[in-house]
Amino acid sequence: MDHSVNLSTLIKASVAATIVAVIALLTLILPAEYNIDPTGIGQRLGLTVLAQSAEASPVDPESVPESTESQQVLEITVPANKGIEYKLQMEQYDKVTYEWMTDGSSLYFDLHGEPEGDTTGYFESYAIATLDTMKGSFTAPFNGSHGWYWKNTSNNPVAIQLILNGQFQIIGIKP
Amino acid sequence: MSNHTCRLEQALLLVLLAFFSAAVLAHGVDDSTRSFLQQNSGVQFVPFLYIGAKHMLTGYDHLLFLVGVIFFLYKSRDVLLYVTMFTLGHSITLLWGVLGNIQVNAHLIDAIIGLSVVYKGFDNLGGFKRLLGYQPNTRLMVLLFGLFHGFGLATKLQEFQLPEEGLLTNLLAFNIGVELGQFAALAFILIAINFWRRLPSYERFATLTNTLLMSAGFMLMGYQLTGFAVL
Repeated sequence: MDHSVNLSTLIKASVAATIVAVIALLTLILPAEYNIDPTGIGQRLGLTVLAQSAEASPVDPESVPESTESQQVLEITVPANKGIEYKLQMEQYDKVTYEWMTDGSSLYFDLHGEPEGDTTGYFESYAIATLDTMKGSFTAPFNGSHGWYWKNTSNNPVAIQLILNGQFQIIGIKP
Repeated sequence: MSNHTCRLEQALLLVLLAFFSAAVLAHGVDDSTRSFLQQNSGVQFVPFLYIGAKHMLTGYDHLLFLVGVIFFLYKSRDVLLYVTMFTLGHSITLLWGVLGNIQVNAHLIDAIIGLSVVYKGFDNLGGFKRLLGYQPNTRLMVLLFGLFHGFGLATKLQEFQLPEEGLLTNLLAFNIGVELGQFAALAFILIAINFWRRLPSYERFATLTNTLLMSAGFMLMGYQLTGFAVL
C-alpha cells in the first residue's frame, strides 16, 4: 500500500482517466448501448445498430408474449355455492370466438374485461345472464384480462366445457 | 513528447480492449436464466447457486473493484481480510435488499459501483493521502462499497418477482453462489497478479493500471447514469 505518486502524476492520471472514459462513452458505449451518438462516430462504426436492434426486437421477456391464433377445449368446474373467474390475457383488438355449455344446470355469468395495470377495480361487462350454454365472440377493447365470472348457486358442482378460438393466452382461474 | 503520446495510445488501446471484452460479457442476466427465474417456483438450490456464481464471474464491475482492492495487497492474510470485508458488505445488503424489498434504482446503484472502481484506482495511486493529507480507512471503505455492491446484486434479483415460496433458501443459494464465483474469479486474478508481480513491469505499470481502473470506473458511471437519465 505504499504506492504513492506525486501530485502532478496524480492529476495527469485522473485527467487522462476521465478523458479516455468520456471519449469511449461518447464514441462507443453510448452509441452501442442507447443509440445516443453525439459524434456520429458510433454510426460510422456501425455500433448504433446494436441499440437499434435491441429497441426493435420484440423479445423483451417482461412483456406478455404475443397472442397467437389458437384453439382450446377446456373443462372447468364451478364448486357448489361458489363463484369462479376464468380469464384470458388479450391485447387490444384481439378477437376470441367462444362456446360454453354446462352439464345441465344454468349458471349466472358475467363476461367482462379488466384493463391491464388497473388497480381501481374497474371492469367492463360484455354479457350478463343466467344460462346453461352460450356461443359468441368478442374483441378486446383494451389490453388486459378478459373472461367469465360464473356463479353456482346450487348445492352440486357444475362442470363447464369451454371451447375457445382466437388470439389469447390463458390465465386460468383467478382466485 | 513522443514518449507521452505513445503512452497515451497504449492506454487507449488497453481501455478499448477492456471495453470490448466487457461488452461481450454483457452484465445482466441472460435470456435462459431470465426465463428460468420467471418460471421457477419453490426451492431451487443448485440453480440459484449457479446463477449467483455465474453473475459474479461475468460481473466485470465487481471484478474490477476486486482487482483494485487486491492490487497492492501482498500478504495472503490481507487479501483474506479485505475480501472478507467485501463479502460481509455485499451479503448484508443482498439479503436485506431482497428480503426487505428495498427498492433502489439499478442504474444509480450500478453507477455507485462504477464510482467504487474509480475510488479504488484513485486510492491505489495514493490520491487521498495526497489530496486530503490522510488515508481514509481502507478496510471500512471496502466494507462500505461492499454494501453498495450487495444492493446491486439485490436489484438483479428483484427484476423478477421471485415467488415467496422458498425465497430465503433460493436467496441464500444465490449468495453462496456469488461467494463461490468470487472465490473462483479471485483465484484467477491472484494467479495472474502474483505472476505479474515478479516482473519489474508490475511496479512500472502500477500507475497506468490504476489509471485504467479509474477510467473503466468512469465509463461504468457514465454508462449507468445515462441509462438512468434516458430509460
